[in-house]
Amino acid sequence: MEKYLPDYMISAFAAQGIDTSELIYAIHTDSGSDSENLDVYTAVDKENMYILYGTEKVVKTTGARRIVAVYEPTKIEKYPLSQLGELSCERLLSTGRLISEKENNSKILLVFSIGYLSDVDKLIKVIKNLREGAPPLKDVIVDEELFCPKCGTRYPEPERKLCPKCMDKISITRRLLSFFVHYRKKVVIIFITMLAGSIFSIFSPLVGSKFFIDEVLTEGGGFYGAVFAAVCLIFFVRAFGVALNILYSYVLAKTVPWIVQDLKLKIFEAMQRLSVGFYTSKRTGSLMNRVNQDANNIYWFFVDGVPYVIVNVLTFTGVVILMCILNFRLAIVCITIIPITVGFFRILWSIFRKYHHKNWIYRSQLNSMVSDSVNGQRVIKAFAREDDEAQRFSEVGNKQAAVDIRAINTGYTAFPLIYLFMFFGQVIVTIIGGRMVLEGEITLGTLLTFISYLTMLYGPLEFMSWVSNWWARCVDSAQRVFEIIDAKPDITEPENPVILDRIRGDIEIKGVKFEYDPATPVLKGLDLSIKAGTMLGIVGKTGVGKTTLANLIARLYDVTEGSITIDGVDVRRLSLSQLRKSVGIVSQEIYLFIGTIADNIRYARPDASMEDVIRAAKAASAHEFIMMLPDGYETRVGAGGHDLSGGEKQRLSIARTILQDPDILILDEATAAMDTETEASIQKALSNLQKGRTTIAIAHRLSTLRDADAIAVISDGKVVEYGTHKELMEKKGEYHKLYSIQLEGLKIINMES
Amino acid sequence: MKRKEDGNKNGKRLKEEWFSFMDAAVQEKKTSATSTTSTTAQVTEKQKRIEQKSASSLADAIDIGWLDLSKAEFYVTPGGFTGLRYDGKDYNRIILRRALPIKHPDEYISVADKDNKEIGMIRSLLELSEEQRKIVQAELDKRYYCPTVYEVKSVKDKLGYVYFELIIGRDGVKYKKNCAVKDVSKNIRMLDDDKLAIFDVDGNRYIVESLSKLDKKSLKRLEPYLF
Repeated sequence: MEKYLPDYMISAFAAQGIDTSELIYAIHTDSGSDSENLDVYTAVDKENMYILYGTEKVVKTTGARRIVAVYEPTKIEKYPLSQLGELSCERLLSTGRLISEKENNSKILLVFSIGYLSDVDKLIKVIKNLREGAPPLKDVIVDEELFCPKCGTRYPEPERKLCPKCMDKISITRRLLSFFVHYRKKVVIIFITMLAGSIFSIFSPLVGSKFFIDEVLTEGGGFYGAVFAAVCLIFFVRAFGVALNILYSYVLAKTVPWIVQDLKLKIFEAMQRLSVGFYTSKRTGSLMNRVNQDANNIYWFFVDGVPYVIVNVLTFTGVVILMCILNFRLAIVCITIIPITVGFFRILWSIFRKYHHKNWIYRSQLNSMVSDSVNGQRVIKAFAREDDEAQRFSEVGNKQAAVDIRAINTGYTAFPLIYLFMFFGQVIVTIIGGRMVLEGEITLGTLLTFISYLTMLYGPLEFMSWVSNWWARCVDSAQRVFEIIDAKPDITEPENPVILDRIRGDIEIKGVKFEYDPATPVLKGLDLSIKAGTMLGIVGKTGVGKTTLANLIARLYDVTEGSITIDGVDVRRLSLSQLRKSVGIVSQEIYLFIGTIADNIRYARPDASMEDVIRAAKAASAHEFIMMLPDGYETRVGAGGHDLSGGEKQRLSIARTILQDPDILILDEATAAMDTETEASIQKALSNLQKGRTTIAIAHRLSTLRDADAIAVISDGKVVEYGTHKELMEKKGEYHKLYSIQLEGLKIINMES
Repeated sequence: MKRKEDGNKNGKRLKEEWFSFMDAAVQEKKTSATSTTSTTAQVTEKQKRIEQKSASSLADAIDIGWLDLSKAEFYVTPGGFTGLRYDGKDYNRIILRRALPIKHPDEYISVADKDNKEIGMIRSLLELSEEQRKIVQAELDKRYYCPTVYEVKSVKDKLGYVYFELIIGRDGVKYKKNCAVKDVSKNIRMLDDDKLAIFDVDGNRYIVESLSKLDKKSLKRLEPYLF
């Protein structure tokens, strides 16, 4: 039998005289609401649940596993599973509690910090499996390591097993660089020109100072007096260096956008593959938000990063080698001065950055306040709150101004100080070098060359002081991008997909459970069956999971438990493309893409003829309003395009679904936001669409369900009533109540009119 | 430390004095205004009447549903829940929620049954008898429990995640806790002028009850993240 028991917990339970060979699953939580910090181990075997309270004395938390040296137990509780009721987790503010619910005998079993919620949820699942006789660890993902196995740091996001400390920077960089591979020739050119450019810039002080002074201007020099020729040579060296720089920038500029485009395309393609859940989940929601910024970071990696690293490393090594050759003693002096300056520079920079960061936050606060007030102008005016808004703005503005002043002041004092210090370095080299010149140890040309080299070294050293940070950020960006590229969609095409010749549309929903977040079930064991070609109405309050059910039938998500079959085949076994093509959803949420109206209707079937498009629009009662628009079917809609009303958009989406010609139609509050007249015309359009198809209509307004063959009332994630309108009215239950309330409303309107 | 507290008190007193002075000044201005221009007085009078009218009509139309505390009896069930016997009904598990958890934790308490249907509200816990108040308070404390931050031992900023080593606890019992926070500008929030909340990646929340009472070193470590 599968088990999950960390070693340190086994010994703790064994010390209590419990037969640990029988234990199946154990979790580790804290004591939540108590004012002492306890380590609570909860374990289950086939018959009992044990809760052990105590304190861990952890010797080592770094490294692969937690090593618990001593566990000092304070108490143990034992609950026979047969005596416990239904188990559930309750979410409090910062804690959660495990509750056993039983007629008149409900009990709080365990209190814990909210971070352990998903662990406790797994425990509940295991107990449920045990009670049902299923394999205990069915649907339970165990061994989720929360700590980095290498350094013991906690993963910042438990679901994203990534330790910022131990991130494999090299391999990610290598993968990033692999994007250069397609552009081999250009990369070779870039590298050669860069190398040559660096060599020329290293040699230019040698020619400009040492050669010119020692050989041309000094009596007895090899080229004494040839001033013109020498200046020409200096100019040539400089000019050639510049030419090489231009060349490499040019090639680089021509290559990098393509590389970034490659990468963006890969991200975009990957995004299309991923399931809806990926976009809405907490983990990836934030991942998606940053993609743009990440792509930007990567862009700079190629444009600034790679070339800078090469140029700076080359310059640094070249200059140091040349200095040592020219004069070893003076070289040592230079090399000791520079790191001090750089260190000083870093300290000032970090102070400056702190203010800068704060400033940035305030600025974004101000920006959002401006947009808040622009968007909310109507409300602001309606409540006459103009002055208060200005006051609110000025409060943040004042704070920002204060930080600004400090940042500017720091900048004004810090940077001249740095320059002074840099100059101080030159002074020292000049003093020591000057003496050496007087003593005849070096020539004047050598001294001047050294001073030039000193300034040349600041660049690479300063670069090296921040490059590691910058590189880490870049790699993090790349990691996130690769994570999206490599992400496996939750909803995948089955290995041997079933392709049905024709979908009749028999739908069977059995014991379906579903949750978006752990411990917050939306559907709690829902059963329904819909015969092919009939219409089922679904009613229920907001948030009971009606839309979720629609999403599950279309397999935008997979059920947590239970099954949904179409014509007797589990949707998870059906070919995804066939399934999606045969299930049409007209939902309350309408999305029009940027493009013409015709394009938008044709989205369901790109090869549809114009006649089909018009036919679909007519069937959806959309043709009339489309013809009223100046550009007819060529009117541009979507972001930045023509503004359509809610009803118009809805009719376009119905036209889209009509064109799709699905076998199963799901109407998810399709007419919820319409006025009565529009609703009537949309209802007409919908009844055109419904003929001969299995239809599931989710509605608030019960009047829209009068044609339904059966109606299901959903409450608390389950079907509570099922039957025809007549049956349900006779039953005088939930449906009757809803119907009466709505009827009452209509009566009042009638009376008033 | 004591001197600082005294300083704070002094500051507070000065502030209060200043405000009362300002209020008086405004009052004075108002009275002088009414004496010179009677039309303005009439207008304000009218406005007042309108305000009064709207206020009373709202109160007439919507009943907050204060609990009649003389009919209410809170009790603790053997299973650890809080129950309520009210007006002949017995709710064996109730949910208590604070309407203003930060500024007025002991006022405007909503009492709901276990299906989250509100039974009624309590205006202030002070209206309860001492023994009843203890029961309600204990349940509220459980629901709103949040560890207090006593000290910030270290802060490390790594790639957009900030790792905190905190000394947290309650009622003087202190222990160490490591946590990671991302999106600091969102997850480290001032609850009021002096109270700070930190939300870690696991969804845990930690409260700094009073920044001004935090030791200097901790404050310095937190400072870059306070906005």
